[in-house]
Amino acid sequence: MALLRFCCTTARGFVKRGLILQSTYTACPGTAGYASGVTKDKEPLKKAKTPQGRFDMEETESKSKDVLERFPEDVNPETKEKGGPRGPEPTRYGDWERKGRCIDF
Amino acid sequence: MAAVCAASRVLGRKIVSSTALPAVCQTSNRKLHFSIYGKRGDAKVSDAISTQYPVVDHEFDAVVVGAGGAGLRAAFGLSEAGFNTACVTKLFPTRSHTVAAQGGINAALGNMEEDDWRWHFYDTVKGSDWLGDQDAIHYMTEQAPAAVVELENFGMPFSRTEEGRIYQRAFGGQSLKFGKGGQAHRCCCVADRTGHSLLHTLYGRSLRYDTSYFVEYFALDLLMEDGECKGVIALCMEDGSIHRFRAKNTVIATGGYGRTFFSCTSAHTSTGDGNAMVTRAGLPCQDLEFVQFHPTGIYGAGCLITEGCRGEGGILINSEGERFMERYAPNAKDLASRDVVSRSMTIEIREGRGVGPDKDHVYLQLHHLPPQQLAAHLPGISETAMIFAGVDVTKEPIPVLPTVHYNMGGIPTNYKGQVITHKDGEDMVVPGLYACGEAGCASVHGANRLGANSLLDLVVFGRACALTIAEINTPGEKLSPLKPNAGEASVANLDKIRFADGSTRTSEIRLNMQKTMQSHAAVFRTGDVLKEGCDKMDSVYKSLDDIKTFDRGIVWNTDLVETLELQNLMLNAVQTIVGAEARKESRGAHAREDFKDRVDEYDYTKPLQGQVKKPLEQHWRKHTLSYVDPKTGKVTLEYRPVIDNSLNAEDCAAIPPAIRSY
Repeated sequence: MALLRFCCTTARGFVKRGLILQSTYTACPGTAGYASGVTKDKEPLKKAKTPQGRFDMEETESKSKDVLERFPEDVNPETKEKGGPRGPEPTRYGDWERKGRCIDF
Repeated sequence: MAAVCAASRVLGRKIVSSTALPAVCQTSNRKLHFSIYGKRGDAKVSDAISTQYPVVDHEFDAVVVGAGGAGLRAAFGLSEAGFNTACVTKLFPTRSHTVAAQGGINAALGNMEEDDWRWHFYDTVKGSDWLGDQDAIHYMTEQAPAAVVELENFGMPFSRTEEGRIYQRAFGGQSLKFGKGGQAHRCCCVADRTGHSLLHTLYGRSLRYDTSYFVEYFALDLLMEDGECKGVIALCMEDGSIHRFRAKNTVIATGGYGRTFFSCTSAHTSTGDGNAMVTRAGLPCQDLEFVQFHPTGIYGAGCLITEGCRGEGGILINSEGERFMERYAPNAKDLASRDVVSRSMTIEIREGRGVGPDKDHVYLQLHHLPPQQLAAHLPGISETAMIFAGVDVTKEPIPVLPTVHYNMGGIPTNYKGQVITHKDGEDMVVPGLYACGEAGCASVHGANRLGANSLLDLVVFGRACALTIAEINTPGEKLSPLKPNAGEASVANLDKIRFADGSTRTSEIRLNMQKTMQSHAAVFRTGDVLKEGCDKMDSVYKSLDDIKTFDRGIVWNTDLVETLELQNLMLNAVQTIVGAEARKESRGAHAREDFKDRVDEYDYTKPLQGQVKKPLEQHWRKHTLSYVDPKTGKVTLEYRPVIDNSLNAEDCAAIPPAIRSY
């Protein structure tokens, strides 16, 4: 907690001494637009890419790797179970199966 | 914190004014309810045991050893009742093995169809092959709906039906109308992570109360005096200090002992510490020979491959590439029942047709099936096979062998959770000692556990222990005096192991024990195989005297802790194999080739009229109680009758024994 406070005060400290460009300051989400009370277009906070850029995964890539698909609104269409396990029914072979693995409790 | 302050001093003198940053980094002044370093203000250091190992003495109203599902439930149940409770655990609570349970909890809530807990009672008694104590089963199944509703009130996110009630699914062994009404839907679950969710819910709930957690404290032994349990002595792994927890009530919830076998699904920490502590205190353990196996567990990893693989067309092959199940079950082939498949696999391995460098497992072949079919019916199996077995399931077979995944036996208790011994034909309560969870054996599972009953067992008996203690005691009672050098033997043992300088390493002895148990006390049990196993285990036990450890330190000495765990495992292993050798019948999970039938007091295959009841010594419908002499490893067996009457005959009639067939 104290670390964050320190960084925050440091940033403001930098700005006060004019070491950071004014434009970066206004881009700071803490103050831009909200103070005036005008509703802005909701821009998602863009995560800055790491210098290499290769550790950032694309949004779609992680979803396609998921073998077991999410049900729409988390409700299983056949059994109408809400919040149940994804994929085919785990108890269909008489044990609890998930991804080929049996978890015998 | 200090680094930040240093950095600020270097950078910040010119940039940040002194008023913007507080002069001194403030420490949190919120009073945490659990002690961080394990030494509370009122703990006293004494050197009554040894000057080399100063001992810290703590005093509590109750101590719970183990923080899995049962341990946490007992701990906060006690704190809720106002007792000053300590929870001593060698793992952080959310890392206990309960977290691996994916399945659900059985309860007769009646959300999917009309249901009655008496039908659940019948299913459990039948599942246990009439070795379960019917009063404990009555207690558990009657409390089940209330327990599940309580969990749900604690915040456990069960999956729901459209109306918002808890969704229950069908699971093996559950029926309606005492077996005559078809499949029952009783299993409540949380997506596919019920155990994980249960543990986190219980842990979160327990933080509301004033329990003192002593995390990463390895419990060494019970402090027994005059047959009464007065507390626990434990080693703090973090700094190597010894702690004695004096309490009027001790609850053991340390889990099972899967790691005695070479192939098991349990965590590396499932080492039966509670069972061993009780054995060293001279008390018996019950029914340790009943161990549940699953035929296809991945070699090395210990994960189980679902039976659906064989259902979809997978076949088991041996080193000659032969589909050996055709010889053992000509009609059903690979779809034969679990025990037949497990036994066939073990026979193939014993006869030398196993695969791999040690010839100790077989292959499960799936690459002859079309890949689209595999992906459609068993999504995710290629991922599982690659991660755990390192094989591409569309090209290579998966190495499998029968794997242990649950221990039905444990510390004998009555239905209230109090530990009992058997003297002169009567059950006697050991004052001050309680057990619950997989470590305890109130014998609800008997000879075979039904899936989804184990999570129920944890919460019901964890709560039962807390209720019993609250009933009998009041918080803040004065503790009875304890000898100043209590626990000396445990510390001496610790010291001996820490400086052990024999010739065999801990890992070698452990592997010997595991391989012996896997080949002799696994699925395939016959008289001579078991006898050979008993002799081999005897020599492995004796090889413990020649152990060599390498780490001489005391701070976070994992070599020492693993050796202590090995001692505990060894005690469990000898009791398992000797108990199995002595039990000359097949019942539930204990199946013998030479004695294929159940031996009860009457022959239940024929009408009871005109039959003479056999005395206890001549039949096997009884619990095994095993004692071990820790110095020699010699096991003595005694027997105790099964409790056949339910708690209240009008409420729920007891089920008379019958032949178990599904």
